Amino acid sequence: MGDKPLAHLEYPVLGRAYFLGGRASTSLRRALLQAGVEEDVLQRVCVACYEAEMNVVLHARTGYMSVDVWPDRVEVCVTDHGPGIEDVELAMQPGYSTASEEARSLGFGAGMGLPNIRQHADELAIESKVGEGVRLVMTFWRGGRRDGSEQ
Amino acid sequence: MAQSNELTLAEVAQRLDARAVAAADRLYVAVAGGLVSDLLSYVMANGRPGQVWITIQTHPNIVAVATLARLAGVLIASGFQPNQTTIARADEEGIPILVSPDPAFVLAGKLWEMGVR
Repeated sequence: MGDKPLAHLEYPVLGRAYFLGGRASTSLRRALLQAGVEEDVLQRVCVACYEAEMNVVLHARTGYMSVDVWPDRVEVCVTDHGPGIEDVELAMQPGYSTASEEARSLGFGAGMGLPNIRQHADELAIESKVGEGVRLVMTFWRGGRRDGSEQ
Repeated sequence: MAQSNELTLAEVAQRLDARAVAAADRLYVAVAGGLVSDLLSYVMANGRPGQVWITIQTHPNIVAVATLARLAGVLIASGFQPNQTTIARADEEGIPILVSPDPAFVLAGKLWEMGVR
């Protein structure tokens, strides 16, 4: 296998811009369709990326989504500049959220984001530095999950 | 395109007396079930392609969710109206938006009676 991905995509994500949220993921969906990524993989990438994008929008000042398409996988890295996550384990619990009332009234921040990401990505790594930001790395295997289990 | 035995969004709109405010040219798609939620993450996690989504959310992000979850369209309940930004984005993405004065509970009931499962 070559050391260059089949496609490399980058999208900026703006914090607090609730109503622009989802645009990066929607553009990504189109690009991945063009890159020939399989429908089932595409669907999982879309759900996870939307949630990761909205996490940046809801909690951070700014961030970006970087995506590499490989023959056997799609790798997504979402990095933001913001408050970071104080307790990653707690944040992974369904229903736990630090989103504002404003965000919640719009139907965001129900504490389902990270659980949704974990459910849809095959591999997930979260690095957080409080006061600096979060780096999320997600891997989606093409042609079935590597651990043999189905969704 | 819809099979002859499947309800299209256009028929659903007509029978609900709901008004199409965006992507009216995309109403001739089959409706494959539905879901009711105002939590966007819930729809991302549980929405299935072809479903109609009943909600009272009206902001542009509903278009992103409907696009990414490959829903047939959005049915806004209780007389809430999407703003121009939402409509413009829905037109752009080809996501039909229907609006109805009926509350979500009534809309879901009517859809169920139509045979939408």
